[in-house]
Amino acid sequence: MTRTRKPGISRRSTLALMGAGAMSVAAPWVARAQAKTIKIGMPTILSGRVAQLGTSSRNAVMLEVDKVNAAGGLAGRQIEMVIRDSKGQPQEAARVARELVNTDGCEWLIDGEASSGSFAVHEVARDLGVLCVHTCSEASSLTADPKQHIPNAFRCVRQGIHDSIVGGSYAASIAKAKGLKKWATCSPDYAYGRDTTGEFTLYLKRFAPDVEVISESWPKLFQPDYTEVVTKILQAKPQALYSCLWGGDLTSYIDQANIYAMFSQMEVFAVNMADYTALTVVKNLPKGIHSGNRYIKTFPATPENAAWGDAYKAKYNEYPTNWSWQNATAVMFLSEAAKKANSTDGKKIAEVLKGLTIKCPFGADGTVTMRADDHTLVGYAIGWGTTIPQEPYVPEVKAGDWKAIFELEAEWKKSKGYT
Amino acid sequence: MTELEAGRAQRLAPVRSGAALQRYRDVLIALIAFAVLACLPLLSGSKALLDFIIRCSAYGLFATSLNLLVGYTGLTSFGHGMFFGLGAYSFGLIMQRLGVPIPVAFVATLAITAVVAAVIGAICVRLKEIYFAFVTLAFQMLIHSMILSWASFTGGDQGLRGGIPRPVFLGIDLANHVHLYVASCALLILGLLAMRQIAQSPFGYTLRMVRDNAARASFLGIDVWRAKLTVFVLAALFASMGGMVMALFVSGAYPEFAYWTISGEGIFINMLGGVSTFLGPMVGTVLLLLLNDTVTRFTEYHGIVLGVVILFFALGLRKGLLDFVAEWFAHRRDAGEGR
Repeated sequence: MTRTRKPGISRRSTLALMGAGAMSVAAPWVARAQAKTIKIGMPTILSGRVAQLGTSSRNAVMLEVDKVNAAGGLAGRQIEMVIRDSKGQPQEAARVARELVNTDGCEWLIDGEASSGSFAVHEVARDLGVLCVHTCSEASSLTADPKQHIPNAFRCVRQGIHDSIVGGSYAASIAKAKGLKKWATCSPDYAYGRDTTGEFTLYLKRFAPDVEVISESWPKLFQPDYTEVVTKILQAKPQALYSCLWGGDLTSYIDQANIYAMFSQMEVFAVNMADYTALTVVKNLPKGIHSGNRYIKTFPATPENAAWGDAYKAKYNEYPTNWSWQNATAVMFLSEAAKKANSTDGKKIAEVLKGLTIKCPFGADGTVTMRADDHTLVGYAIGWGTTIPQEPYVPEVKAGDWKAIFELEAEWKKSKGYT
Repeated sequence: MTELEAGRAQRLAPVRSGAALQRYRDVLIALIAFAVLACLPLLSGSKALLDFIIRCSAYGLFATSLNLLVGYTGLTSFGHGMFFGLGAYSFGLIMQRLGVPIPVAFVATLAITAVVAAVIGAICVRLKEIYFAFVTLAFQMLIHSMILSWASFTGGDQGLRGGIPRPVFLGIDLANHVHLYVASCALLILGLLAMRQIAQSPFGYTLRMVRDNAARASFLGIDVWRAKLTVFVLAALFASMGGMVMALFVSGAYPEFAYWTISGEGIFINMLGGVSTFLGPMVGTVLLLLLNDTVTRFTEYHGIVLGVVILFFALGLRKGLLDFVAEWFAHRRDAGEGR
């Protein structure tokens, strides 16, 4: 058979190319329209054991981004989110973050990584100088440690130390009222578990000095069977138990401890209980577990918060998580900063973000602030309450006092050599 | 010289010169490969491509060193990732805490790895097959647990934070992306060349003999334990080099580097690329990383895609890609020669 088309560039494609060239010269607005979109990259955990939290982060970001886009975008530019799975591996998080900036042309990063992944993305932000907002890592050192500080990174997340201060003072008030002197702890055996438990007992003892910890259990992360832990605690006969188990670990623990009727024998303080991912999964949620608020739509008890929780549920058919409100708040901050700077330039946004206070459904007083000196979120709603087995799950939450948090946090920073 | 000895010498001479020729050929290939890789930043401005090759260097060194154990010696280590993690952590900690020049930290890390590998190897290589595999896995989990528990030193589950300082040495600035890329390529090529020399040396052939029939090797006067221990330590050194490249790439070290999944990835890379050719693991590395990077761009259900690929290789090809290609060529050649 004879070839009728000669190899190489045909006349037709030459014409097409020339046409395209002419178009881009004659109509620069076409190119401008392209650049009008601002891409924001987001590495997060969309597979594996904590995928549910990563997905809830993505959902919350999209919920807010849709609102911003509908209102005209960021300084006139529509947002395009590029969200990718890091599998919860730090090296993968670093790779994805670099790829998002270097290949996909993302101008900012929203870092939806937890624990080590967030530190890996932090290093990418340090290296590339790109504006980065951490939205999931609660490790206090990420912003408290001056060695970590870079001008282009912010943290829009609750902090372990804040939770410990509020939890410690709340637990101490209950301990004094009910005479709970013998305490046990049961937390996952890794840095978060040990640090949070250590800080909680530190503040508990500070506010209630006659408290004594008589038993400590450190189950492994993702441990399937808690029988030995439960029996060890029951044998020690404490009056109260503190735990910072979370997610699936916490729900399995409660289900297994229920068999031994543990919750009728002692007061239980589980900081991570009041999150819908745990509340709705436990088979028989015991009444009266003390918990910190992760995310519940009834705290802060404002119409804005309830409306936000309902809007999320209406769109995704499930309740938001703790990661959801943090991610939503990050988008609110970025949107407000772009409005103030009337620009999407990362450096200008970073300048505006420092010390910025915005209206927010998750604020203790209806506002939250990005603290200027350590680039971290403060003023968010934080408190403790007790559970009931049905909605609203934690009917009354006692709010923490931010003035006291600031004082004790400053003291803690000094003791760690951070200031 | 007796007649017999003279005959032997005659036969040996071309073999020796052949080996020397092959060595020169390997060096030449390495030089060309390095030249091509080093010129790449001039031809393409893609930072993602350079990132990809840096990661290929880290994983390639690791996977090829694992093949020294699995493919050449028949020691299926499930815990080889510990040396990858050890390299990353030792290097990161030395740079962060001592502030020494990078080459010093590099050599010190290799020395630390050698000592640790010698101790662990001395215990493990006495065992065979599944017992060896499980004891190496146990040691890996021990090192991983130590990293997690010794939080004041290693940073626990949050890893080494604050970045790894990269002071300039000999005009090389590893904080510069292109410099880091060229340095990674140099380490990869040097590492591969060194491993190739090991594999093709008399010691390399001793390893093959140990793999095929350890009892026979022992009867021939070979100290099997010593040979296995030597290759265990050597492989650890190259895995450690891979870990250092990864630590420089992410500017930190994380417990995941020493977790069993890294060893699993190494085994998987070897399965993908093939264990009977020297470059099989390198091909496997490129394949796995390409697959990972492209699939994760489009879906978070990458596990399904990777699973299908594993099935294809395990049930379809029944061997690694390069093994398959090499066999196919051998068949064609044989067919062409009418055999």
